[in-house]
Amino acid sequence: MKRIAVSRCASQLLANQLPRRPTCPYAAAKNTAQHVTPHSHRIRARWQSTAAAQEDDGLGIEIPTPASTPRSPPRAARKPPPTPLPLEKLPSPHPKAADSSTKLHALRSRLSLPPRFPLPALARTLVHPSADPDPHFNNASLSILGRHLLSYYTSEYLLCTYPRLPMQVVFAAVEAYIGPKALAIIAREWGIEAAEEPGGEVEPGLLQFKRIQSGGALPEAFRRQAPWAWNVTTTHKITRTDEFGSEHAPPSPHALQRTPVPNEEAAQSFVRALIGALHVHLGSPLVKRFFRDHFLSRHLDVDKLFDFRTPTRDLSKLCDREGFDSPIARIISETGRLSRHPVFVVGVYSGKDKLGEGAGSSLDEARTRAAAAALKAWYLYRPVDVTVPSSMEGELDTSKWRPNLIDCGEVIV
Amino acid sequence: MSTCKPLLRICPKQQSLLPRTQCRHESTTRRHRKLLALPQAPSYTSDRSSPTLIFNPPSSAPNVYQTPLKFLPKDDKRRQLHAAAIQHSTTTAHRLQTSPIAAPGTPLHTSSHLPPRPSAALPAPVRAPYEKKYHLTDKEIGEIRQLRTQDPYTWTRVKLAEKFGCSQFFVGMVVKVPARAKEVAKEHEADRRKWGVRRREAREDREKRKEAWGREV
Repeated sequence: MKRIAVSRCASQLLANQLPRRPTCPYAAAKNTAQHVTPHSHRIRARWQSTAAAQEDDGLGIEIPTPASTPRSPPRAARKPPPTPLPLEKLPSPHPKAADSSTKLHALRSRLSLPPRFPLPALARTLVHPSADPDPHFNNASLSILGRHLLSYYTSEYLLCTYPRLPMQVVFAAVEAYIGPKALAIIAREWGIEAAEEPGGEVEPGLLQFKRIQSGGALPEAFRRQAPWAWNVTTTHKITRTDEFGSEHAPPSPHALQRTPVPNEEAAQSFVRALIGALHVHLGSPLVKRFFRDHFLSRHLDVDKLFDFRTPTRDLSKLCDREGFDSPIARIISETGRLSRHPVFVVGVYSGKDKLGEGAGSSLDEARTRAAAAALKAWYLYRPVDVTVPSSMEGELDTSKWRPNLIDCGEVIV
Repeated sequence: MSTCKPLLRICPKQQSLLPRTQCRHESTTRRHRKLLALPQAPSYTSDRSSPTLIFNPPSSAPNVYQTPLKFLPKDDKRRQLHAAAIQHSTTTAHRLQTSPIAAPGTPLHTSSHLPPRPSAALPAPVRAPYEKKYHLTDKEIGEIRQLRTQDPYTWTRVKLAEKFGCSQFFVGMVVKVPARAKEVAKEHEADRRKWGVRRREAREDREKRKEAWGREV
């Protein structure tokens, strides 16, 4: 005989009044999918009377364990049923509340995510470790996964599309696409709003993190730190540091528990965690499509990232290296040479081929600009058809694969 | 009051036996305005009644994303496309060649208002191109070093460059006199201290502009 659940009848009052937290959002999603209504008032009352140990006591042991997947074995299984806490005592919203949140429904459809993407997982990506230190309920592990996926997709796109780009420019471009600032902007464009204060009773569609008090100092982890090493080379930056080639170690998400963080940090952890959650729940083809639609579709002028100090010298070195004739600057046109505002248009030629063109108010300026334009034309070469390595993931037919151009590297003077 | 003067003006000064002629000046506003009303460029006027797209951008620097032919790798597809385009344009030019009876110098050849067609010759270089000589031997380089270190006041970089037929940069590369460089730097610093605000700021701005040359297109 099927029992009528009392809490379902009075759902208006009790829908998200389920203070006992399930062990993980994944389990919560599974439970709600089966429409199992768990508790009645009687059972709740009995739980309240049991003198079980507080769940928070176990946190200190659990926290240092790194990235836990959503499928991790339920932590509370070995314990007697824990004491139900009032909602206000929970550090972040209850995963069950996610399914009834209009904000989360709206966000899922705004991002064109399929309905099979569980809302509790989406709600979990919005919980920063500073709000909820429990790694089963915050987005730390997902954001680590998402960060690596984002940096992989971005850097492979850049390296395959512009095979000759200097490493410094690659780092700058990666930062422009998926840097903390860019991710914070993306989160704002998606309509993510932050909760004033995290807590169990807060709407789960809001970004949950512990704010820095107004006038408060930036936490130690975000302040300027000593570089990882003093003799940091480009090779070191490629192999050792993060995807932006930064000199300082960014704070690990697991290290930010109960630390007040800036808005930008919380927003970027949400975007990264969303990518991680999409990868876990929907698989990599959809993540790649999502990445193309939301990240690569943002326009970036790669040619504005360059900053040449000695373009003429670099260009002659480049022509020497590649076996071209040494570059010669030639005046294509000029006007007002003896006036206050002359304009010279100078082209850099190697043999009979024009490499670049620049205009300036002095011959030197026009020549330098022309050399810089020629160098940019060299570095910004794009192959006609590009296949990124991740597009062949899990493909049985590899006939579409085109080997990518690998350049011998930037000009070093 | 109209600013327009009578259109027809009889020129009284023309005292000749020739018949009186009309003499028009561009001395009124209206005539100036009419004079300035130039016909539109042919690229802006469509000869069809159906709506068309007019794209006539101002002249600008070439796009840096279009790689020059020389910078393309050997196996790039665009090399073949470029060769095909060159061949096509050559054949078209041969087909549209002016016939010998309208060649320059013949009566049928009318002078054109268009600028001369671009020739195959390259434009004039900014600085006269030179070949690197590599003519100095170890013995002469040793001599340069000796002269410069012994008496840096007499044997300046300019004098040594003149004597050995090389560039001042090369002399500086071969031998460095840090003591003399320090003195010169001190002199320059003393000179710079005499500058006023305006000159100093102008110099600083110039340096900043110079740094921006390599940054923007």
